[in-house]
Amino acid sequence: MASVQDRVKSVTARILEVDESAIKDDDNFSADLGAESIQSIELVASFEEEFGIEMDEEQALSVDTVEKAVAFIAQVCQEQGVEV
Amino acid sequence: MSTQTKKSHPLVNTTEPNLLEDTFNYDLPPLIHFSDDPVIEVIDGKPVEFDFNSVKQRDIVVTDTTFRDGQQARPPYEIDQMVKIYDMLSRLGGPNGVIRQTEFFLYTKNDRETLDRCRELGHKYPECTGWIRAVKGDFRLVKEAGLKETGMLTSSSDYHIFQKLKFKSRKECMDSYCEVVDAAFEAGVRPRCHLEDLTRADVDGFILPFVDRLMEMSEQVPDDMKVKIRLCDTMGFGLHYPNAELPRSIPKLIYKLNKECGVPSDRLEWHGHNDFHRVHANASTAWLYGCNAVNGTLFGYGERCGNPPVEGAIMEYIALKGHMCGIDTTVITELAEYMKSIGFPIAENYPFVGRYFNTTRAGIHAGGLRSDERIYNIMDTTKLLNRPPRVSITDKSGADGIALWVNEFFGLEGDDRISKIKIHKLARWVMDQYEVDKRLTAISDEELEKKTEELMPEIWEKYKGSVAAGA
Repeated sequence: MASVQDRVKSVTARILEVDESAIKDDDNFSADLGAESIQSIELVASFEEEFGIEMDEEQALSVDTVEKAVAFIAQVCQEQGVEV
Repeated sequence: MSTQTKKSHPLVNTTEPNLLEDTFNYDLPPLIHFSDDPVIEVIDGKPVEFDFNSVKQRDIVVTDTTFRDGQQARPPYEIDQMVKIYDMLSRLGGPNGVIRQTEFFLYTKNDRETLDRCRELGHKYPECTGWIRAVKGDFRLVKEAGLKETGMLTSSSDYHIFQKLKFKSRKECMDSYCEVVDAAFEAGVRPRCHLEDLTRADVDGFILPFVDRLMEMSEQVPDDMKVKIRLCDTMGFGLHYPNAELPRSIPKLIYKLNKECGVPSDRLEWHGHNDFHRVHANASTAWLYGCNAVNGTLFGYGERCGNPPVEGAIMEYIALKGHMCGIDTTVITELAEYMKSIGFPIAENYPFVGRYFNTTRAGIHAGGLRSDERIYNIMDTTKLLNRPPRVSITDKSGADGIALWVNEFFGLEGDDRISKIKIHKLARWVMDQYEVDKRLTAISDEELEKKTEELMPEIWEKYKGSVAAGA
């Protein structure tokens, strides 16, 4: 199974329509990858779908970089008993 | 004159919000508080004090002229329609008679049948009164109808006295009016003299002498027969500002009639018109300066630009008194729905009842509404008017607005409320309407409902049975 990091980058590339290989760990979703307001929500929804988890809306939307998203999702997966 | 003193204003730092809930308690319309400082109006060179706080103790009331002035601005109502409106007016004003009276034409068979049918309902309030010309013969109509009180036109400006009614002199005019007042007394009917065009009249030369004479005449009759005075701002010229001059000054007019002529507050009534957008402020001013009654029409509909809106006066009443006094404000919504159903137009942005009166369009505002509806809703419109705050969806709505629309549309509360993450497909569709399809109009509830069913079938299936009333 691909790592959390790879899956986060894959979803990010699809939703934001950017080249997956160009996504860096410290990229900011809006400043570096161009996420608009609605795309941020689509990202969160797609992460939930990809990992089969439910995230707190406010906490999830406050995550601003790829590496923070990876850490946050890994933590939620652990809390919700989802194997990754 | 006092000089302006420069002061510094240090920040009062706090981590808890001060929501000013003494005024904005949300359960009621925002309350109107006055300081204990005197309100001064200079009249005839002398400062005169008014006590606005007395309004809490005074028996201020609303009187209605929907069937008289209101009907002068539209095709006639059917009898059944008027009976239904009367019944709702009674429920709106409540058992304490906040809507104290309503007046009826008496000239046609339909007028008289309407009056009979309204009285058959047995409501104590609003009391039915009549409206006639200042013609002695018209009292036969009032007597036959068995009414205790009638309004009568006693036009008071020289525009009316000379140009319209063609009297040869003011004395001839006054004598003629007083003959009719005498006829009312003889008929056992209380006259309510409507000082038509008062705000364009010669106050010292005609109004005050005429009212002095009416007060003298009233000395011969019991209290419940004494003449009432309606101050008619027929053309909407009245001004509420301090130091405005007569005849346009509402404070001065009321003072002169109340204190100099001695007409008690419970026999003074203000009737305004909205030709200069002043109608509600002027009516409220009349209450504060000593008129106990404010006369209005439902939704302000009346001759030309209309009259003080009754529902506006009702909200003002609650705000001044600080409690509901038996009023049922939800009837305002019922009345608006009924009026629309019989072809009465109500603007979409009209306060309290317009389709969009508590609808927000901007996404940033919708975000506020979502976290605490008080941020962008004037009062608890769900409780007071059966109208939850709504959002209208455009390109400015954002996901916050769309989430709020979904929650309000399905009437979802507490844990059932849906987060904006769950509505992302609907939000994307909305954005694409504007960004891709270049749409220029707002999206209707019907369109959004259809798209919810298509894009979020699980939400639709779960909540379709709970679409909120009024949505």
